[in-house]
Amino acid sequence: MSKGGQKPEVRGQRNNASYCLAFLLTFILFFSISCSSNSTTGGADVQARLSNKELKYFTNGKKLYTQYCSNCHMDNGEGLGKLIPPLKDSDYLIANMSISAQMIVNGYESPIVVNGIEYNQPMPANKNLNPAEVIEILTYISNAWGNDYGSVDEPEIKSALSR
Amino acid sequence: MKKIRLNILSIGVLLMLLFSCEQESTQKLPIMGRKEYKEVNGSIDTLYHTIPSFEFLDQDSMKVTDNTMDGKIYVADFFFGICPTICPVMKQQMLRVYGEFQDNSNFAILSHTIDPEHDTVAYLKDFSERLGVMNNNTWHFLTGDKDAIYEIGSSSGYLVPVGEDEDAPGGFIHSGAFILVDKEKRIRGLYDGTDPKQVTELINDIPKLLAEYE
Repeated sequence: MSKGGQKPEVRGQRNNASYCLAFLLTFILFFSISCSSNSTTGGADVQARLSNKELKYFTNGKKLYTQYCSNCHMDNGEGLGKLIPPLKDSDYLIANMSISAQMIVNGYESPIVVNGIEYNQPMPANKNLNPAEVIEILTYISNAWGNDYGSVDEPEIKSALSR
Repeated sequence: MKKIRLNILSIGVLLMLLFSCEQESTQKLPIMGRKEYKEVNGSIDTLYHTIPSFEFLDQDSMKVTDNTMDGKIYVADFFFGICPTICPVMKQQMLRVYGEFQDNSNFAILSHTIDPEHDTVAYLKDFSERLGVMNNNTWHFLTGDKDAIYEIGSSSGYLVPVGEDEDAPGGFIHSGAFILVDKEKRIRGLYDGTDPKQVTELINDIPKLLAEYE
């Protein structure tokens, strides 16, 4: 390799120069890709779907999700095999927002069917979460990973949690 | 002048790349744990820490012992079925390792439950199938005598903390480590099984360890 570089031919030098350029371009491409996604505030579609207040819920909800939920439901919301149900594209979540809120706080023991698959891992309770935090988590999981359920009905969730 | 500078730069970059590749491929994995030295006929022999003999049952009720692992390198970890903390992430990450090496007959995974009262053979069978592990060819989910499990996890075995603790979430404390063991039962790597980057390192190290036996 290095021998070719030492040859005084113009052609060889031009090749090396284009190598360099290729390297540089690859690096630039790398950095631009790795920096382009901004998942904390959601993509443009999330920003269009939610109000400014709800976008704050989404951002806080992501932090809470990482702390309380992602160990089992995973960063990508896909769950784990047939052990832990997905939240991404989950038919259960969209149809049972109030029950999901209660599950987050009180945990859940019985089997649950999500997208036609029965799961039976117990879900632990998170009694220290207050209703505002639950709404933030629900706002996040309803609008992350391609989920597009939009706003969470705050009065409905608060009344479900006061039951 | 500009062209010459570019020339030197590109040679430098190429050399750096060559050098970095070479260093990586010739580096042997470390041998971990306490070493003991023994004098034999005037020369010093190094005795490395090895995994002691064991006997557990896997998800298919097959007896798995240290002899089952003869001629294989393997990755060990500790978990329990209804663990509310790090276990699901560990299993998600171990699935990556399994995906890469499940067809290699020189490779195995041993996942030890630390809650054998709950995690019976039948439970582990259901658990492993739900995870997508449909046979015990490569990945064994082990249960057995609780004291024996804690003993093999400790300083006499895999060098990781495992045990019961009322205050811990789920009632048990355990390490999230993935432990890489060679054919001589020596520990050749400890990786954080909850950290995708470290698990990628493990996935890169397994072929290096296998190559030592070629």
